[in-house]
Amino acid sequence: MVLQLIIAGLAMGIVYGLVAMGFVLIFRAVGVVNFAQGEFLMIGGFFSYTLTAQLGLPMGAALGVCALIMGLFGIFFHFLTYWPLRKSWDITVIISTIGASIALKEIATLLWGPAPLGVDPIVPGLAKFSTVSIEWQFILTIGIAALLMGGVFMLLERTYLGHILQATAQDQYAAALIGIPVVVATGLTFAISALITGVGGLLLAPIFFVTTTMGGITGLKAFAAVIIGGFGSVHGAIIGGILIGFVDTFSGAYISSTYRDAIVFLCLILALIVRPQGIFGEKIAEKV
Amino acid sequence: MNLSAKEAGQSSPVMILDKLCKRFGGVVAADEISFTLASGQIHGLIGPNGSGKSTALNLISGVTDMDSGNVILDGETITKEASYMRARLGIARTFQHPRLLKRCDVRTNLFLGSDLANMKKHSSPFTLEQLMEAAGLRLDLGDSITTMSYGQQKLFEIVRALLTNPKVVLLDEPAAGLNTKEMERVEALINIAVKNNAAVLLVEHSMDLVMNLCHVITVLNFGRPIAEGIPEEILSNEAVIEAYLGRGRSA
Amino acid sequence: MILKRRLFWMVAILIAVAAIVIPLVSSNYMLRVVNITMITYICVLSMFIVFGMAGQISFAQAGFWGVGAYITAILTVKLQLSPVIAIFASVLGTGLIAAILGLALFRLHGHYFGFSTIGVVMILNGLFQNWKPVTGGADGIGGIPAFGIGSWEFTSEMNNFHLILVIVVAVSIITYIVQRSALGRSFMAIRDNEIAAKCMGVNSYKTKIIAFTLAAMYCGIAGSLFAFLTSYISATTFTFPQSALYLVMLMLGGYNTLAGPVVGTLLLMLLPEWFRFLQEYILLIYGLGVMVLMVVMPDGLIGGGKKAYESIRKRGWAKQPSNDIG
Repeated sequence: MVLQLIIAGLAMGIVYGLVAMGFVLIFRAVGVVNFAQGEFLMIGGFFSYTLTAQLGLPMGAALGVCALIMGLFGIFFHFLTYWPLRKSWDITVIISTIGASIALKEIATLLWGPAPLGVDPIVPGLAKFSTVSIEWQFILTIGIAALLMGGVFMLLERTYLGHILQATAQDQYAAALIGIPVVVATGLTFAISALITGVGGLLLAPIFFVTTTMGGITGLKAFAAVIIGGFGSVHGAIIGGILIGFVDTFSGAYISSTYRDAIVFLCLILALIVRPQGIFGEKIAEKV
Repeated sequence: MNLSAKEAGQSSPVMILDKLCKRFGGVVAADEISFTLASGQIHGLIGPNGSGKSTALNLISGVTDMDSGNVILDGETITKEASYMRARLGIARTFQHPRLLKRCDVRTNLFLGSDLANMKKHSSPFTLEQLMEAAGLRLDLGDSITTMSYGQQKLFEIVRALLTNPKVVLLDEPAAGLNTKEMERVEALINIAVKNNAAVLLVEHSMDLVMNLCHVITVLNFGRPIAEGIPEEILSNEAVIEAYLGRGRSA
Repeated sequence: MILKRRLFWMVAILIAVAAIVIPLVSSNYMLRVVNITMITYICVLSMFIVFGMAGQISFAQAGFWGVGAYITAILTVKLQLSPVIAIFASVLGTGLIAAILGLALFRLHGHYFGFSTIGVVMILNGLFQNWKPVTGGADGIGGIPAFGIGSWEFTSEMNNFHLILVIVVAVSIITYIVQRSALGRSFMAIRDNEIAAKCMGVNSYKTKIIAFTLAAMYCGIAGSLFAFLTSYISATTFTFPQSALYLVMLMLGGYNTLAGPVVGTLLLMLLPEWFRFLQEYILLIYGLGVMVLMVVMPDGLIGGGKKAYESIRKRGWAKQPSNDIG
């Protein structure tokens, strides 16, 4: 029983981690919180429905196609919300992403209808380890998500492109001065963020129903994960996501299934009070 | 030009700085900075770039916490007081780059200064008309701040500081970026402050302004005071010349 | 000065006319929409205080709205207290909770405070949703009596309209006064340049708490009015998206003037009613509209309107700035 909870918690957590990573990549690149991040998850979920249930693609192909579409969507989103407002006050971008989240939910309702949709598990069936049986899809979710995270890390740390992205994230002006096309870097960051979050949605789809509201709460919890892990830290986002996954799953099972959301956010507030910069974050002083 | 003010001004110590120290990591920004400010006197604080002048102002106004040392205002030790409290006790300041309320109108920005004056017990000798006249600013109270030029904004910030009816005025490079006419207006404002018995601490790079106006000058290098005296003494001080290295001035 | 006086009388007459005419020409349904709009306006005003003036993003406002509603509901339904006591308790209770939260949360700076308010609204919503003995849990609280003073009861939609209108006017006047006071200036100083504010004698920690508390009290009274109006409340109303909606209304109308919340609320509450034929697409248009407006008019409609007015005026009068520097 506990092992199953651990696996379930880890699976949820790693998906939160993907969404959290998506938040952090955008925040590090452009300094803004994307309130539509949860909706990226939702769209990934709906695409997974369309690709598997409606078009009948096998899971592997669906994964690839979904990733590609989400990446393109991220670039599109970047030009709609961030790029025109890149020189304006932060709050305008935040409001724009809030507007985008509403618009996306409505588009999803118009395209797929308001009823919740069911998606078959990526791989059906249970894995049996002596006395314990665990659903294969949880194991695969953890595996695929981990691979994806690893891939993003490799990209950022080991490739030239990744270094360009990191440089632009640290100082757009300086990056532009040395010839980096900022628009490409920020656009690509949004693309990666949307891609990993969308795949998170695809992985989550079989576990819960796909609904227009699935992005909301999950997005906010992933956001809490970002803060607990350390705002602006990619490692922090992943660790925070996994932690939140465990808190969510275990408090749902042992404390109260109704209060589980509130408990997650209570942890958020406690973390902010005790250590606002999060586990991996750094205190930033203001220059006078 | 203003050395006669030395005799005219009152000379009672209003602020004592006692061995202010501050490190940022490995960098010593302030190394036992000590001097005294007297009401009605203009005290210059100069030194090469990075010598700790702005840090000193930040320590005095409470914007940065000091590692050790004491600030004494009118006999009271205010070292532990937060910056807002120090402002209420009579310290006013300007910043290297004007910190104005960009989204508010002129009225709000100015009244922020007079609000502070109203918090104090003694009535203010500084009037808005007199200060705006000296600063050469003809603005409607309803105007937006953003219509002012850089020079006007710097003068405006000094007006706001004086409106608070301060005992001590800290000016952080008020002449930087200003043309000759605007610098004259800075001088006029400083003179009004001094006439009303405020003590002025002037951080400046413009040697003209410093030598003309200041009664006393303290020179910092690497956060440490290396010389203190009247302008003529400072000009011929070897340690000072060496610190500036190659900035020869014809006295 | 003359312009201000004329503006005052125009607004006063407009309100008086509205007070008489609106109930006469509107159906009960339309009147309900108007009442909800006015209650929403009070919450947007609260966002104006805490964010528009003091610069602190707060997503907690819908949570406070709920607190006000639940306090009134609990006091009138479960404790059978009078509506007048309930409305006062809602205002003071919500203010108290906000003050306590503020004491803890304003130790956080910048973004972090805003994030914590997300936590606040989620936790409050969780409590509304699950604390069955107190809030009725998912069932909510029903049977809330109408507001009444002594034997005077405000049962009809029209009664509520007048009650809410009076409170709306009162709260707007209070906001107007605060805006022009030293307190209001200290709010705006914190918003635009906190360090300068501190060097001007503003105790920013305490002042932020005051702004937060005052804003929460606005939500408290709005919640109480809502409970009396609808006589049934449940947790699904008081959510994070609702807070986000207030923020959007404020930004759409304009965050820097008192007219902003009026315009923003009217636009987002009444337009959907007038464009009912676009029913399905309304939210989509709203979302896209917000995105477009942020690009085109980041100061909101009022701010953008002012800029347009200024540029037309300047072209018309060829006005020269009168400062003699140089």
